[in-house]
Amino acid sequence: MNAPAENVLDIRNLSKKFGDFTALDNLNLSLRRGQILGFIGPNGAGKTTTIKILVGAMRPTSGSATIAGADCVRDARRIKRLVGFMPDTFGAYDNMRVREYLDFFGAAFGIPRRARTKRIDEVLETTGSGWMQDRYVEALSHGMRQRVGVARTLLHDPEMLILDEPANGLDPQARIEMRDLLLKLAGMGKTLIVTSHILPELSRICDVVAIITQGKLRAFGTLEQIMRDLRQRRTFEIQLCAPERVETVASAVREALEPGERDSVKAHPHESLVRFDTARSDTELSVILAALVGRGLDVAQFREIPKDLEDAFLSVTRREVPAA
Amino acid sequence: MIPVFTREFLGILRAPRSIWALLAAALAFSSLVLARWPAGDLVDLSGSGSRGAFLVFASALLGGVLLLVPAFPATSIVRERNKGTLLLLLNSPLTGRAIYSGKFLGVLAFAGLMLCTTLPAAAAVYAMGGVDPLRQIGLLYAVLAVVAILATTIGLLVSTRAASPDAAVRITYGLVFAVAFLTLAPHALTKGTNGIYALISQWLRRLSPLPVVMHLVGQGGSVGGGILEKDSGVWQFLVAGLGLSAVLAVATMLQLNHLLFDRSRDQGKITDDQSTLVRWFRRLVYLVDPQRRKSGIPVFLNPVMVKEFRTRRFGRFHWLLRLAAVCAVVSLLMTLAATNGTMDWGVETIGGLLVILQIALVVLLTPSLSAGLISSEREGGGWNLLRSTTLSGWRIASGKLTSVAWTMLLVLAATLPGYLVMTWIKPTMWNQVVLALISVLLAVAMTLAVSAAVGAFHSRTASATVTVYVVLMLMYLGPLVVWAFRDDPFGRPLVERALLITPLGAALSVIGMPGFAQYQLLPAAWWVAGITCIVALVVFAIQVWRLLKPE
Repeated sequence: MNAPAENVLDIRNLSKKFGDFTALDNLNLSLRRGQILGFIGPNGAGKTTTIKILVGAMRPTSGSATIAGADCVRDARRIKRLVGFMPDTFGAYDNMRVREYLDFFGAAFGIPRRARTKRIDEVLETTGSGWMQDRYVEALSHGMRQRVGVARTLLHDPEMLILDEPANGLDPQARIEMRDLLLKLAGMGKTLIVTSHILPELSRICDVVAIITQGKLRAFGTLEQIMRDLRQRRTFEIQLCAPERVETVASAVREALEPGERDSVKAHPHESLVRFDTARSDTELSVILAALVGRGLDVAQFREIPKDLEDAFLSVTRREVPAA
Repeated sequence: MIPVFTREFLGILRAPRSIWALLAAALAFSSLVLARWPAGDLVDLSGSGSRGAFLVFASALLGGVLLLVPAFPATSIVRERNKGTLLLLLNSPLTGRAIYSGKFLGVLAFAGLMLCTTLPAAAAVYAMGGVDPLRQIGLLYAVLAVVAILATTIGLLVSTRAASPDAAVRITYGLVFAVAFLTLAPHALTKGTNGIYALISQWLRRLSPLPVVMHLVGQGGSVGGGILEKDSGVWQFLVAGLGLSAVLAVATMLQLNHLLFDRSRDQGKITDDQSTLVRWFRRLVYLVDPQRRKSGIPVFLNPVMVKEFRTRRFGRFHWLLRLAAVCAVVSLLMTLAATNGTMDWGVETIGGLLVILQIALVVLLTPSLSAGLISSEREGGGWNLLRSTTLSGWRIASGKLTSVAWTMLLVLAATLPGYLVMTWIKPTMWNQVVLALISVLLAVAMTLAVSAAVGAFHSRTASATVTVYVVLMLMYLGPLVVWAFRDDPFGRPLVERALLITPLGAALSVIGMPGFAQYQLLPAAWWVAGITCIVALVVFAIQVWRLLKPE
């Protein structure tokens, strides 16, 4: 963990209670400048509560949160200048063109007219939305709206961007474009907090990931750290040259695994494949492989299926693990 | 049809506001009759007491139907279209006619239920004696049923075409009140004349339920101005009302198909990018070209105010100019028609009509602009964005209020030519005109403040608009109803107190409108309006502050 002085975001023992219900329980997080944090958790986990506290829309019951040294409760006005917030709802206004929409929010942040015009051109170019500046906001497609939403958050040149579900509802092409845009923003020195349910997308862009369930931080760190710390079962596949001996191989693997792992062994004769989950080390697995080869079973490939953020998320949400 | 009907009817009944409306109707009408129930030990052989009770009961019932029924059909189809469920319905084996019938009957069933809750009160009126069960009470319910049908068909037609539920509510209320009240205006102006205009105005008058209900309650002489005639016109109203409803129903059914969704997204054409020829042509045709690229918001203007103007359908400058022009023309036409058509009317009557025109504009336009000032932001997700900016609560509130105030002042200014003509005819009226205009300005301020305050407590614009219209109609029409029955059953003190509620009475009184001139309402009416305005503005400010502060 980095020293607090280098951190743009510092969350310390943050808690929020609504009567008896604890929405956020002693959350601790920190983030360095230019990093992208993937903030993930199931519905009702406490993501939106955290975001609302960070943007000054909600007061915590206890604990503190600072962004670039500004306290999210006491320095609410400074926080608004430091943070660009894109909620999960777009907030379209009728009869307004994109340029007018951005002009309004620029004026709301007190940007002088001439500087605002220039800034609007810049953010339209950054987000690749220049061509839609004369379109009516309510007539934009979902993907276009997300781009305009990001452009809006950039208007006052904030240090940190908080984007709630920016890739939600986007088609694959738009999702790739959004991913590139977020990487571009991080490249510009912006610090980003991104929530998303499309975990493969997050895993490709995030420097750090925080997994939250029931108001508690379950895992925090780089994806590799999380995978390692979770010590979860790994998935392996044995590819055979022919389908005839798939069942034999499957039986042999079952014999070699622990009783609790045997149910995971699945034979797929059509693919000439045996798949299984195990927590065994590489050394232990090499013994199993040697045994199979020794019995004359024609193993073509023995490979590990790489686990991703989705697997980590499911692993965390299905069973409680200590925070990394 | 059955599934749509069941869902529509149950959907209305499941909404808490519907249950409250039913309970309120039952309680209010029972209380009205109980208040008139004979308390002494003398028998009222003349039946005047029961007729008085019937008068109050019938007027309130008509007001209730006009205020409550349009809200339900107005949002029925547009909400389904925006949610995407209308497309699902159209993709089912149900025909447009079946969908329409289901919705129509669902709303009507609720209106019927509401009328049923008033039956015990009607029975009590009958029990007091002196009121005919069939020719008065029976016909009253028949008239009200047709009013409900008419309001429902208007609401459903508007709902099919409107872009949003709140727009549908606004337009529906505007049309329903136009049918109920504005249809009487041409007859009032052409009364005593012959010719095609008189004939058309006579037929238009048949569409209004007001003269019919007045006749049924036996108030032949209390309200003039074309509302009452010797013949009751009940049957003509029933035929005209049902005929118009049938036409509207067919028009709506014809539109309920997939073509509703066959619209492309606006590509956002801009004049600046057009050819030189097109640019020159548009410069000639438009005083203010709506398709020109706008420059940024100047720093000296409140951005929220500018945004409010830009996001309103008719808030852009070219629309405001058109609105002002229409108002100016209407005010001059009214003055012209009144002076040419009915020479026996005094200048005071013309002034009174101008005041009524202005107040009608205020009551119809202001809620449509101010009821959704906060609720539309909350409904559309804009409120959270506003909260995340550095705008203070004061800037947001003042920007929103001034955007409505400027529009209304522009509209009122456009109606001033009528007053100028009036003071030209009778220069001694200048002081009266000034006092009347101050009253109208106070009416604008009060209406704006009340609309904004009441609307700020809603998170949906459609419900905010309905509530605000109901509150304002009660505020403005209530005193007029009391005034209409100033000879019997209400006496002068009660009428005077009722007229103090809104500055309308004061404006009509100072301008010397016949029937109002005898009341001394100033300066008390101004105090009432001023205090109401301040209280409403404080409530609005508190609500804005409450919504802006961290949860």
